[in-house]
Formats: sequence, structure tokens, C-alpha cells
Amino acid sequence: VALELHPLEQFKVEPLISIHIGGLDVSYTNSALLMTIAVVLITALLVLGTKRGALVPGRWQSAAEMSYEFVADMVDSNAGHGAEPYFPFVFSLFMFVLFANFLGLIPYSFTITSHIIVTFALAAIVFIGVTIIGFAKHGMHFLRFFVPEGVPIALLFLLVPIELLSYFIRPFTLSIRLFANMLAGHTMLAIFGGFAASVGLLAVLPVALDVAILALEVLVAALQAYVFAILTCLYLNDALHMH
Amino acid sequence: MSDDRPSDALARLAAGLDKARTQGSDKPAGGEGDNAGQQQALGIGFRIGIEFVVAIVVATGLGWAFDRVLGTKPFAMIVMFFLGVATGMLNVYRAITGQSAAVGFRRPQGDRKD
Repeated sequence: VALELHPLEQFKVEPLISIHIGGLDVSYTNSALLMTIAVVLITALLVLGTKRGALVPGRWQSAAEMSYEFVADMVDSNAGHGAEPYFPFVFSLFMFVLFANFLGLIPYSFTITSHIIVTFALAAIVFIGVTIIGFAKHGMHFLRFFVPEGVPIALLFLLVPIELLSYFIRPFTLSIRLFANMLAGHTMLAIFGGFAASVGLLAVLPVALDVAILALEVLVAALQAYVFAILTCLYLNDALHMH
Repeated sequence: MSDDRPSDALARLAAGLDKARTQGSDKPAGGEGDNAGQQQALGIGFRIGIEFVVAIVVATGLGWAFDRVLGTKPFAMIVMFFLGVATGMLNVYRAITGQSAAVGFRRPQGDRKD
């Protein structure tokens, strides 16, 4: 049996419209297309869904309101008091990651969040933003964040580097978690899909497995968006309240 | 008969709604709480899987970079590797004990003090 497996081909970024500005490649790629679709769909859901503003919401209004309330609850219970101004940011982030993950599950589409550069950019925005908020709110006092209380001075030489490291690792864990989950899931789907294409009647088995994995991937897509958003809230909480 | 039916249907609907409400008031309270708990547990599980590994890899990578810049080859990398292990353990511990991935284990009182 000749196996023709290309499980990683699905992650290839291909330019759809070639644009070069002064030696810089800013082509409109399939990745950019999916991002555009995600943003358009989110905007459509929220704008069209809440347009009528009925007292008894219809399906779309329900979906829009539920997502709003879900994130509002999350921000309220995880980021604590005074985090309300940052709700729009967390909401945008959550919806973007959620839609990107779900859109990627559609066959022949492209998973934006399976690229580390995309997830790292998102995580870096969170990290830099939270750090700025911390310093803006507490000034140089924010540095005390890295000094655990009630610890002998001798131990501080060990603990401060650990605390610093644990702080600077945040954007990495945040981005790698999302990227690795999406990459692994989609690669697995493609591998079993490749098996199915080359084993004739036995294809029932890999296809059945693919269906099961796809169900898991739906869960992972939602869960990873949730984890991304909730960690953003927790980081915000740290910066705002310093504990 | 045709006059009767709407009010009849409405009465049935009202009775049905009441029934659903009394049933519903029982179920979602327990069911949703369970769901939320499960959701959170799942979230934490998916989080810490990667927390430990990334801490070590990033710390070791940083050590390697320091070595290159400062010319102190293997030392920075070795030290940073162990720091990475410590950080990873700390992060996992904090994630599990529900202290979030918070840096600094200051209690709320400490924060009121300053």
C-alpha cells in the first residue's frame, strides 16, 4: 500500500494576492483571509444579532448575548474589581480565538491559531499590555511583585530569579498551549485521513477514529479559547491587584 | 369549541411552563454547578500539561542565549535549566492550588498594608 501522507501541508501559508511594498512581503494570504472571515463573522453575529434588541431574544440574539455574558462573568469573577474597562479587550480576544479555532475545523479551511507567530502575537499583546497596566497602576511598586513577602534575604537571591522567570514565561506558555493543541489535533486528523485514503475498505476504522477526534477537537477549540481568555483575566487580576 | 381552544392551549402551555420551571429550578442549580466545576477542572488540566515543559524549555533557551552573549558556555545554561525546573514546578503548583499562575504569593492583607 502506497502511503501518501502530507499531514503538515494544511498549515502552509499561501499568498492569495501578492503584495510587495519596498521589499516587504505583505501579501494577502489564506491566513489573512481566515482572520478576515473570523472578524466579519464575529461582527455580523454581534451587530445583526443585537440589532432588534427584542425582550425575548431569538436564536442569534441569544448567541450574541450568551457570549457577551459568558465573558462578562469570566472577567468579573477572575479579574476582580476594576477590570471592567478591559472587558472589550478580553471579549475580542476570546471571540477571535474561538472563531479562529472553529473555522479551522471546517474541512479545507485553514487554522490561524495553529501558527505560533499568530498565537505568540496575541500572547505578547496580553503580556505587554498587562505589564504596562501594572506599572501604570502601581508605578515602581509593581516590581515588588517579584519579591515574595516574609522570605529571608538569603533566599531572595534564588526566589527573585524564579519569580522573574515565571513572569516572563507567561507569553510563551500562553501561546504554545494554544498553538500546540491546534497543531497536534489537526495533524492527527490529517494523518488518519491519509490512512483512510490508502487502505481501501479498511478505511472505516480511521474514518471512525477521525470522527471521534473531530468531536474532541470541537471541545479543544472551545476550551483553548476559554483558557486563553481566562488566563488573560488572571494576569489582569495580578496587574490590577498585585496578588 | 373554536372559542375555547386558544385559552385551553394557553392554559396547557402555562401548566407546562410551570412544570418545566419547577423541574428546571431543581436541575440547573445542581447540573450547571457541576458543569461549571467540570469546565474549570478541564481548563486547569489542559493548562498545566504544557506549563511545566515550556518553563524548562524557555529557561534553558534563555540560558543558552546568555552563554552565547557572555561567553560563559555551559554555566548559564545549566543554572537556567534548574531555574526552569523550579519555575515549572512552581507554576504547576500554583495552577493546581488555584493561586492562578500568579507571580508572588502575597496574601490580600499584604496588599492592603502597602
